[in-house]
Amino acid sequence: MTGWRLFFLAAIVLAAAPFGLPIFAMTLLTEALILGLLAMSLDLMVGYTRLISFGHAAAYGLGAYASGYLLLHTALPLPVAVLAAALLAGVVAIGVAWVCTMATGVSFSMLTLAFAQLLYAVAFKWTSVTGASDGLAGIPRHPGPFGITVFQTKNGYYYLVLVCLLGAYVFCRALVSSPFGAVLRGIRENEAKTLSLGYNTRLYKIAVVALSFALGGLAGALYSPFAGFANTELLFWLFSGQVLIMVIVGGQGTLIGPILGAAFFMLLEHVLSAYTESWALFFGLIFIGFVMFAPQGIWGLLTSRRPKNARI
Amino acid sequence: MALLELDGLTKRYGGLVAVNQVSMRVETGEVRAVIGPNGAGKTSLFHLITGVVRATEGEVRFDGRKLTGLSSYQICQAGLSRTFQLTSLFPEMTARENARLSAQARLALRWQPYGGAAVFAEAARRGDEALERLGLTDVANRPAGLLSHGDQRLLEVAMALAQRPRILLLDEPTQGLSVEETLSAVETLSGLLADGQLTVLLVEHDMEVVFRLAQKITVLHRGTVIADDVPEVVKADADVQAAYLGGYE
Ligand SMILES: Nc1ncnc2c1ncn2[C@@H]1O[C@H](COP(=O)(O)OP(=O)(O)O)[C@@H](O)[C@H]1O
Ligand SMILES: [Mg+2]
Repeated sequence: MTGWRLFFLAAIVLAAAPFGLPIFAMTLLTEALILGLLAMSLDLMVGYTRLISFGHAAAYGLGAYASGYLLLHTALPLPVAVLAAALLAGVVAIGVAWVCTMATGVSFSMLTLAFAQLLYAVAFKWTSVTGASDGLAGIPRHPGPFGITVFQTKNGYYYLVLVCLLGAYVFCRALVSSPFGAVLRGIRENEAKTLSLGYNTRLYKIAVVALSFALGGLAGALYSPFAGFANTELLFWLFSGQVLIMVIVGGQGTLIGPILGAAFFMLLEHVLSAYTESWALFFGLIFIGFVMFAPQGIWGLLTSRRPKNARI
Repeated sequence: MALLELDGLTKRYGGLVAVNQVSMRVETGEVRAVIGPNGAGKTSLFHLITGVVRATEGEVRFDGRKLTGLSSYQICQAGLSRTFQLTSLFPEMTARENARLSAQARLALRWQPYGGAAVFAEAARRGDEALERLGLTDVANRPAGLLSHGDQRLLEVAMALAQRPRILLLDEPTQGLSVEETLSAVETLSGLLADGQLTVLLVEHDMEVVFRLAQKITVLHRGTVIADDVPEVVKADADVQAAYLGGYE
């Protein structure tokens, strides 16, 4: 129960943030929460099922382009466009996962990377939908038939992102604590045994990839109306690697760790890029440090003195 | 009709015939042992029955239903639960969680997206019951990876049992155990089989264990069945003695 108390405390602090933080900090925080949602969605695959994806930018990019396209070309209100885009990412993921789960281990990772690269290429070529190298720009936030204009303000949008993140967290927590989550843990520890116990492990893996992509797609769908644009950088392999690093640095298999990892990444990028062009190098060194000396990640370090509370 | 029927089951690896035209029938309630020296094809036979590897030829039928060609999870769902010769567990989960996850697989409600607590409770009940029957209640809350080798072997049997299978397939349950551990494991297993409720197909290379537990014995030698009878007859069989004296340890 301590875990849920912590959850409500964090929710209250985050909900109060607009009253205490300056505008530019709110912009950073909004982006950090979006990235946190993306990293948390990847944790379902990496941390809970040991499905290492090198292509999670695909989920983000799909969501970002889909919501951007819907907002540019239809009059759908913002929340509807965002949810539709997330759904699309999840549905596409079923097909992707069906192919990728024909392989396991490194081959699985390579197939996820290949799929993300394929989308990257499509985004460059399919000019009428994606705007090619220009991307989609000037993405509006339609108020819809009920005239909901609150999301057009910076703080209003922040609350939309916060609600999505908290909702997704509760959903993921329930998922990994359910009988379904127990099977994922079985796959993580011993897939061959899980199969021989009568579980259709491939179906479970496809399901978790679809859910992971839907939530990652939700993050992307929130990003493009926030930034006002979507471009091919969102689908680039480097970004997939960065999200994976956020998960590992934050603490895989904890849901909350990857959110912290994303915030840490954003903060570091913001601080270091003021001093040096090659901030990514420092981040690389920090990543190596975590892998070697603290594989349990930030959240693991924070909770290691009271291991009983490590799981919330 | 026998519960489990094998017909001309064959597995070739290149030129090597690991399992050669094996036919056998296992009746409901029977405890059947498959014995033979190392490399005789016993584990391969289990892999063929449970769909871990595909047969080159032949057919497996269970309760009249053809199993050949099904995936191993489907075969398990048909009511065949097995253990592995090399212990296969979830090392970071507790013994109780191992048994619970195993039992959960056979619950009809496991896919239901709500009411997880009820699914867990029923699975835990079945799992705990199986742990108790194998004398593992005391170590139920220890991570499986930290159990003694003997307890790990028994835990795998408990996991199979927790599924309430129609036939239990055990691949060398005493493999790698010390003499004392073997004695106590055999004691536990014979207690388990005493009431005649379970149908068991048991692979062993330890003759003493087999004669304690099995009602009927099938002897495999270089993939081929060379004897198939009650223990007394098998013990006296000249071919069996030749096979064992020729190639055993
Ligand atoms: N995957 C495989 N590839 C090639 N040969 C194999 C394979 N699995 C088993 N064999 C061979 O099949 C024979 C039977 O092995 P196995 O079924 O493990 O015997 P047992 O369990 O009776 O000791 C052995 O000669 C073994 O080397
Ligand atoms: Mg063997």
